[in-house]
Amino acid sequence: MRERIRLEKTIVTENDRLAAALAERFDRAGLLVVNLMSSPGAGKTALLEETARRLAGRLRMAAVDGDLATDRDARRIARAGMPCRQINTGGGCHLNGRQVAQAIEAYDLADLDILFIENVGNLVCPASFDLGEHRRVVVASTPEGDDKPVKYPVAFRRADCIVLNKIDLVDATGFAPAAFRGFLRDLRPGAPLLELSCKTGEGIDAWLDWLRAEREAVGRRTVPSPQ
Amino acid sequence: MHEVALAHAVWRQVAAEMRKHADRRLTKVHVVVGALSGAAPESLEFALGLLVAESEWPHAAVNVRQEPVVLVCRGCGNEYPMHEMRLTCPACGGADVEPVRGTELRLESLEVE
Repeated sequence: MRERIRLEKTIVTENDRLAAALAERFDRAGLLVVNLMSSPGAGKTALLEETARRLAGRLRMAAVDGDLATDRDARRIARAGMPCRQINTGGGCHLNGRQVAQAIEAYDLADLDILFIENVGNLVCPASFDLGEHRRVVVASTPEGDDKPVKYPVAFRRADCIVLNKIDLVDATGFAPAAFRGFLRDLRPGAPLLELSCKTGEGIDAWLDWLRAEREAVGRRTVPSPQ
Repeated sequence: MHEVALAHAVWRQVAAEMRKHADRRLTKVHVVVGALSGAAPESLEFALGLLVAESEWPHAAVNVRQEPVVLVCRGCGNEYPMHEMRLTCPACGGADVEPVRGTELRLESLEVE
């Protein structure tokens, strides 16, 4: 007898399970975890370098950094004062829960205020792989063009904060800030947009304020586990 | 995106369901892919086809359907389809909106005999 069995079940992937376990661990430790995504070269590492220098001694921070090859980014971030573990993905185009779980073994999470996960430079795949983070930040930059949000909607739609870097190059690149803001408003209404330059330092304070506020928000939400 | 990994996740759930119907034969798998899920329907259908061919029901068909995005506005209650990557509410211009369909990957149904 032919029959159709209705299921309507959401597909749970292996990474979804790993991400849920990481999220629980991050909540227990009481720190803020930020997943940074962008195209290659938008300035994720530069943003972390600036963050390390400016918040040194005020917040306890560490990072893990994903790239196909080399530990160049981890060394840059460490030189700026933030401990950083490099994850080399080989050919992998995004970080997954297993790689992050392994990399954070180096840290005592309870001793940190913020953990940054610098994803592999790629605006497509990282957006589909949760890493248990509290906040997703998408970094765009003016040389990439002002229509990035509509061309990569999956990444931008789920961003909790959008950083527009290299704002000092607006004139040189012909980037139209109003168009970018419009695309973003349509796709991710209400999310903060922070326009800044890691090179000149313009706008960086707003980013640091955002981080402090989110750190506070997550800290309040986290209930310390009973002794 | 990563449709081979997704196909394996779908297939695990199909196999789990079929274990509950051990006396039946699988003839078709229906999967729904949200337009904002990040998964490409054609690639997922292809990858699932490979797993089906290796399974105990090698002749089962696979249907992967893309589902358009539908949003609801928390401000005015309007429910509307997403148009050209614009999420804001066309009725009131509100920005406090939530997708109710079109973001997930779902095993919709199985046809058996």
